[in-house]
Parts: sequence; C-alpha cells; structure tokens
Amino acid sequence: MNMELSRRGLLKVAGAGVAGTSLGAMGFSEAEAAVAAHVRPLKLANLNETRSICTYCSVACGIIAYSKGDRRKGERAELIHIEGDVDHPTNLGTLCPKGAALKDFVKSASRLQYPMIRKPGSDRFERVSWDFALDRIARLMKDDRDANFVAKNHDGLAVNRWTTTGMLAASATTNETAWATFKVAKALGIVGFDNQARV
Amino acid sequence: MSGFESIQPDPSTIGRLLPPPFAVLPDPRRLFRARAERFAALGQAGDLSPYLRFLAGLCEAQAAVADTLPPPEPIPAAQVERAREGKMPPLDRNAFRDSPGLRAVIGPFLDAMVPVPKPQPAQDALEWLRRAPEESMREMLGNVVADAIPLEAIPQHLFLSAAAQIEAARLASGLDAAKLVPVEMGVCPVCGGPPAASLVVERPGAEGARYAACAFCGTQWNEVRIKCLACGSTKGVGYKAPDEGGAEPAIKAETCDSCRSWVKILYHRHNPSLEPVADDVASLGLDLLMQGTEYRRAGFDPFLIGY
Repeated sequence: MNMELSRRGLLKVAGAGVAGTSLGAMGFSEAEAAVAAHVRPLKLANLNETRSICTYCSVACGIIAYSKGDRRKGERAELIHIEGDVDHPTNLGTLCPKGAALKDFVKSASRLQYPMIRKPGSDRFERVSWDFALDRIARLMKDDRDANFVAKNHDGLAVNRWTTTGMLAASATTNETAWATFKVAKALGIVGFDNQARV
Repeated sequence: MSGFESIQPDPSTIGRLLPPPFAVLPDPRRLFRARAERFAALGQAGDLSPYLRFLAGLCEAQAAVADTLPPPEPIPAAQVERAREGKMPPLDRNAFRDSPGLRAVIGPFLDAMVPVPKPQPAQDALEWLRRAPEESMREMLGNVVADAIPLEAIPQHLFLSAAAQIEAARLASGLDAAKLVPVEMGVCPVCGGPPAASLVVERPGAEGARYAACAFCGTQWNEVRIKCLACGSTKGVGYKAPDEGGAEPAIKAETCDSCRSWVKILYHRHNPSLEPVADDVASLGLDLLMQGTEYRRAGFDPFLIGY
C-alpha cells in the first residue's frame, strides 16, 4: 500500500504532470471528467463516530454515538444515531430497550439541561444559576439535618443517622467518584442512599 | 449478535453472545459473479456507467474462468501452520507470483476478456498482454503481487491484477477460516495485503461489525471500528461524506489525523447491496472530493489507481 503511494508521490515530485489514473489509462477519461464535474459543487460534511458508555446502569454497555459536525474541527456536533458497540466485550453490540432509546433521551424536549426551581405556590419551573441552586440545596440540607438528625439510638448509643433526606446517585461514574459520593452521603449520615446503577 | 444458529429451541443459548467470526473466506464463483452483478446494477445509469459496465464484463469473465478451473492445489498444510505460528499470511505472494496456478489462469482470463467491449487503450493493452514476453510478464506480476502499479502501464496491470484475483481467491477459499490469526492491523490475514475498503455488515451474528475487504484475495476480516486501517490509531479518527442534507450516508471516508490517510467505509445498514470493490469504484466521486483534503487514500483497489 505504501509502495503504491510513495511511487505516486515520486511521480508528482518528478513533475510527471497529472498523475495517471485507472480510468484515464483505460480510455474512460470522459466518464472520469463527468464524475468530476458532477461532484465539483458538492461539499464534504464532517461526521463523527464516538465510542462511549451507556449512562443507564452499572452493566456499562459500550455504545457508538454518530454525530454530524466535528467538535475537534470547531463545528457544532449534532447527534444523529446511537447503537451498541459490537467491539465492546460487555455487550457485543447489543443494547437493552432503555439503551436502544438513548438518542431520544438526549433529544428529549423535557431533558433537564440546567438547574430549575419551582418555587412554593408556583405552577412552573424556572431556570436558576448553579450558584443559586447549590446554595439553596446546601441551605435546605442543613436546615433539615439540624431539625431531624439522630445522634443517639434508643439505647443511648451514639449513631450518625439522617433519615429525612435521601440521595440517588448517578451510574455514569468511575470507582473514584462512587467512593467520594459514598463518603459524602455517609459522613452526613444519609441512610436512604441508592444508586441509579442498580436500576 | 445472538448465538442462535437454528430454529430449534435451545434454552442453553439464551442470552449467550458470540463474538463475530474473525475472517470470512471467499467463494470464488460467488465472489466474482456477485461482483459482476453489482457492477452491472451500478452501471445501469450515471456518469461512470461505461467503466462500471466494462468492469461488470471483467468480473463476469473472472467468474467464467473460476467456473471452468479444476479445484486448486491447496496451500501446503505445513506452510499454513508455519505462517500461523509466525503470525504471517499463509498465502506467500512472492511464491504466488511464479506459481503454475497463477500462470494457468492468465491465458484463459485474457481470452475471456476479448469479447468484452472496451475502449481502444484497454483493447491495445489486452492485445499486447496476450503476446507479452515472459520477462515482461514476470516483472508485471511482481508489481501486481506488491500492490505497486506503475502509473505508466495501468491497463496491463489491471488485467493481470484481475487474473491474479481469481487464483488468489481460489487459494484463499481452500483455507480454514477458524485457523487464521490477525497478522497486523489493517493487513489481510490470508495474503498480507491492504484493504480496498471496509464494510459494516449486518450478517446474523455479526451485526454492526466492521470487516476490512481485501481486493487481492477476496478475504474479509474483522477489524475494530473507529480505528485507522492504515496506522491503527484510535485518536483523531473522523468521517467525511458528501453533504446531502439529512440522510446518513451509506459510504463514508474514514480519515485519520495521526497518519493523514483515509479508507472508505461502507454500511450495509443503509444499503445491503454494497460490495467493497464494486462500490469502491462506483463511489469515485468521494475520491475526487477527498483529493481536495489533506488526507491521502490508503485503500488499495487495482481498478481505482491514481486517486
């Protein structure tokens, strides 16, 4: 393969003019010229295929996400298709019904893309900043924990129990994030703690 | 991807997945006939139809010769075993160049090409080939087995490549696909050649798997997707296709930013009729568009030299 290419390169360098082609040499130059004229106005679109991991559960099936537009080339990428990754040892290209519907999950009109709040008495959600959301979550957690924290059980033994707030963690995490998540939840005393990975 | 092979219920296979087979060996008669049919279908209309119709006739001649030949002398078992141990291709192209089997197909194939309509330059090359001295013949076969086609003598080499394809496919068909081992990324496990293109197939048991297709011996072998077939890099692999609005293209150029080369990739999901060699030629427009990019073609197809 490389021989063929290097030879062609050599001819170009040596000033052999227009490099010979199969069609030209065989006597099909007209057909070649017609194809060239036909494609001249066409543009090449950048497409991409990206390996990723399904976000739904801890099985972590391999997926291939197809997109139009290449972010590495400064374009906006639009997701056009998702399928199971046949080369991935876990699922060999298969996906469960939830995984097979991942594209709709990404494209969903009701997909949560930023923090939203529905204030008491309001009938709609409104967008808020991350700073506002994090401050508010911390405030509410602190108030709830101060009011309901259980420091001793019936026998008077010291415990660390906060039963009025629960936490559901995500599945698309590494071992390290999972470890940190667990430490945060258990240090606060959260008892109702589960993970999307079990779904 | 399921392991189901028969319609008889077999609870033991439920939920069991099998990896796609590593290699699919050619059946020479079916290979060339199917290719001829695909070329003929593609050549019914369009700018390129004269060349496609000519290649349909050429593949039909290949199929006709393959039909008449007795079963080939198989590659010696010891050679296959030695190649397997050393991770080398079992079909030794240098020995193939001087093999009696190859010489035995050239004459009948060139004869079969005589009635196929062709332009004058092709006609002249064929006539010259039929009387070519042994010395020139051997030199040209050396170029053919090295995939190094000199640009000043493309037509002669095109005919000889087509003849070599017949015998190479016959030898490949006699191998045991289960005993083939990967030689190297992007290298045919039977003859050591580069792929013409790669195909994302939808065959039961291999849905979505990518197979690289060798134009020389007709073998298709499994390669990991989103990986450059020329250098093996998984970094900076992208795809290009003519911008035709919404529809996902059935043929794309798989580009590599590591080695700046590209190879065509064909998707059976979008068009189950795609044939790696025939559709490689028929998608010449993509090659012409790719000439305007920084990538160079790494797929090797003796019917599409110079792009």
